[in-house]
Amino acid sequence: MLSNTNLRMKRPALGLLLGLLLAPFSLRAQTKAPDVPLDLVIKNATVMTASHGTISRGSVWVHQGKIAGVGVTVSAPADATVIDATGKFLTPGIIDPHSHSALGDDVNEATSPVTPSMMMIDAFDNMDSALYRALAAGVTTELLLHGSANVIGGQAVVIKNKFGLPRDQMLFPNAPRSIKFASGENPKRVYGHRNELPSTRMGNFEVMRQSFEDAKAYMASWDAYNAKVARNDKDAVAPKRDLKLEALADVLRGKLLVQIHCYRADEFLTEEAIAKQYGYKIRAFHHALEMYKVGDQIAPTGTAIATFADWWGYKDEAWDAIPWNATMSMREGVRVALKSDSNDYVRRLNQEAGKMIHYGGASEEEALQMITLNPAWIIGVDDRVGSIDTGKDADLVVWNVDPLSIYARAEKVYIDGELFFDSSLPGFGTTQFHGVMHSSGFSGADDEDGGGL
Amino acid sequence: MIFTYWQPDARSVEKWIAASILAATGLFACLGPQRVHAQAAAHSKAHPTSASTPGPDGPNTTAVTPPQLVAITGGKLLTITHGTIENGVIVLENGKIAAVGPAASTKVPKDAQVFNAKGMTVYPGLFDAETQLGLFEVESDENSNDRVEKSDEIFPQMRVVDAFHAETARIPIERINGVTNAIVAPAPEDSVAGQDALIQLYGKDRNAMILTPDIALAMNFQGDVRRRGSAPGSSKFPATRMGLASQLRQTFLDTQNYMAEKAEAAKPDHKGPQAKIDLKFEALIPYLKGEKPVVFGAYQSYEVEVAMGIAKEFNLKVILNHVTHAQDLLDTIASYNVPVIVGSIYDAPEANERYDAVYSLPAELEKRGVKIALSSFSDGPTADSRNLPYAAGYAVAYGLPYDEAMKAITLNPAEMFGVGDKLGSLDVGKVANVVIANGDPLDVRTSVQQVFIEGTAIPMTSRQTQLRDQYLPLTQKPK
Repeated sequence: MLSNTNLRMKRPALGLLLGLLLAPFSLRAQTKAPDVPLDLVIKNATVMTASHGTISRGSVWVHQGKIAGVGVTVSAPADATVIDATGKFLTPGIIDPHSHSALGDDVNEATSPVTPSMMMIDAFDNMDSALYRALAAGVTTELLLHGSANVIGGQAVVIKNKFGLPRDQMLFPNAPRSIKFASGENPKRVYGHRNELPSTRMGNFEVMRQSFEDAKAYMASWDAYNAKVARNDKDAVAPKRDLKLEALADVLRGKLLVQIHCYRADEFLTEEAIAKQYGYKIRAFHHALEMYKVGDQIAPTGTAIATFADWWGYKDEAWDAIPWNATMSMREGVRVALKSDSNDYVRRLNQEAGKMIHYGGASEEEALQMITLNPAWIIGVDDRVGSIDTGKDADLVVWNVDPLSIYARAEKVYIDGELFFDSSLPGFGTTQFHGVMHSSGFSGADDEDGGGL
Repeated sequence: MIFTYWQPDARSVEKWIAASILAATGLFACLGPQRVHAQAAAHSKAHPTSASTPGPDGPNTTAVTPPQLVAITGGKLLTITHGTIENGVIVLENGKIAAVGPAASTKVPKDAQVFNAKGMTVYPGLFDAETQLGLFEVESDENSNDRVEKSDEIFPQMRVVDAFHAETARIPIERINGVTNAIVAPAPEDSVAGQDALIQLYGKDRNAMILTPDIALAMNFQGDVRRRGSAPGSSKFPATRMGLASQLRQTFLDTQNYMAEKAEAAKPDHKGPQAKIDLKFEALIPYLKGEKPVVFGAYQSYEVEVAMGIAKEFNLKVILNHVTHAQDLLDTIASYNVPVIVGSIYDAPEANERYDAVYSLPAELEKRGVKIALSSFSDGPTADSRNLPYAAGYAVAYGLPYDEAMKAITLNPAEMFGVGDKLGSLDVGKVANVVIANGDPLDVRTSVQQVFIEGTAIPMTSRQTQLRDQYLPLTQKPK
């Protein structure tokens, strides 16, 4: 249990000083019992469940970090800690399915168009201030992706935004692995500028196909070896292990969720055709600003999108972006999430969702799902987070007003039932962080920065 | 042709508006077919299905209908200057606001075209205090990029009116969310980047849309501006803040010297050659005389102090810009007694600052009596005029009184740029730039229903609505 090692500082001023002096060892050394309540009830809130409507004066019961009950009333034990949230709104924690925060300037290993063995966890800096600002905006889970310089990038890390806890305790336990692909302008610009392959969309897709042919050959060599081993063939010689080909093989084996940076309608169709040819599924198209043009064709594949609410016009392949993309694609049957791809937007994904009421008349629940349940599905953790349902992780946000309003502020943020942010606290408002943050100097916007150029 | 914006003297707003009304009344109705913007045309080659049906909005150069006699009735009027009128009437006539008041006491002219705004909010067109509208199209495309001249630091003679592309597809996209006026400024990459223009976001051509050319001087004092000298391998002056400040001082001293020589040469008894005209110095004269404002951008406290020191030394009339990392200098900023364009409100706080250090800045400045405006300008990926009202809403969430937030995107910027008597509120005699929305103008969930610019109900369409309407019937399953 991560709560066993919580560092608790009751006096912020002293805490800051102590944190500076002691953080390196105290974070690891603490073993005292946590003061996280066994049972917590948040009552009288407008509960927006994201899965089964809104309860106008509802309660949520949290037991040992999980949601144990939700409704007009809940049957929590009498000794539960009770938070009266009269007049407040309660939602699931916001989930960002496309972030490059806390990766320093290591977002793109732009030295080869195919780098599937890059592990973003190796660049994850859990003290990055971008995480703090996202936490203060109610963001509890993030998918930290490789950038878009490479046709086949690296493998993502999924975090729970328990800012202030040690690095390993910020990892989402047992989250599925995701890998980042990219098509379109970014890879062709990065490599085209060097007069290398790929410099065109033709090049992008050929590099992909050849990679999977290589992976198939690698898999076949291991299959042959394993068959020899199975029949006790003394001459069996193990093929040389290759991290890159192993990762590609895992794509073909369906062990990695494929997340593809892709803008144009024609490219969605090509990507789906390649996926079909090589037998893997695409989990989501990211950006996907032209999905509204072909959503009816993509919906049957089950591929979701993670898109911007209204950012547009920053490059040629974003020129046909329209702010109705999310709602139109949704009505075409595509699962739609909004994402930040930016240390800025991640601070107001709730208002980006609110725009969907204006652009296309999404319902409040549909808009909320775009930043909770649907991104949870894209990351593959929708059975554990993304809605207020019994059995799910108690990742909860208390808002001053309707979170889709421009006036919304996250007041309290709980992750696994534990309070990590409270805007009424002095200083940062963090309960676990009392040290010095890092600043990567990177905007977190892979596209704004030219996909790694 | 009476449009002579390129003359050194700025024309008054009055003249420009009169001119554009003339234009709008059909004197220039003989324009040819719509010119599809170059970008759109290039794009439509790549995507034959898109942009093939230009609507009435794309180019701004056609479909301007004469201003009508319009009455907007039943709405909640946010007047900005004299409170909220719950059930109000506003009459627009000849491009001006002819009457504003409660329904009970405000007559609806018999022949007026009536817009029923029952349940709606009616407010003045929004004024965006810094944009780069018309200076670029696709952001990454260098061919359409006219944002700033980069070869030197001191470019007061650069005038955005010379690059302003009225037919940009961006303007209709921004204006249908209620932005009717904007300052177009060069990108903040030079110490003196050039001269801003005030535009109206609808009109038959560039001349009609530019209300005031050269309305202010864009100046910057920020570390990032050092890039020329501090770029790898560069040895070009200046490469430090010392260099930037010294270069600015020398420039103003040289201009004063130029003015003195010019005055000397103008004397009747002057003998010898006439002074050679230098456009750089000429451009600075009205600013050194304090006749027009300089918009001075600085982010950090110490940069603000250096910038204001230079401004004081040369008696510049300053509008401060940004100040997003000057939280420790707010009382001093208030004591400068100059207006401030705050933001972007979305600028990230420094590491180890509280998350709301910038969100609360408009409120903190307003509390100290500073006249503030907001703009859509952002260093980050988010600059978009249509989102201007949301920046104001954000400021409200972090403490700015609602009425002050509305002022910060209407009357305040109009006053800062000297056009507060023409724009920024629902008052009789002002330009009839009026917006009807189905709710709170500052909320992301609100939809603007109709925008009036100079009394004309503009087409509520854009390249983006065209794409939406083109694909909706192709992709939506019948119910």
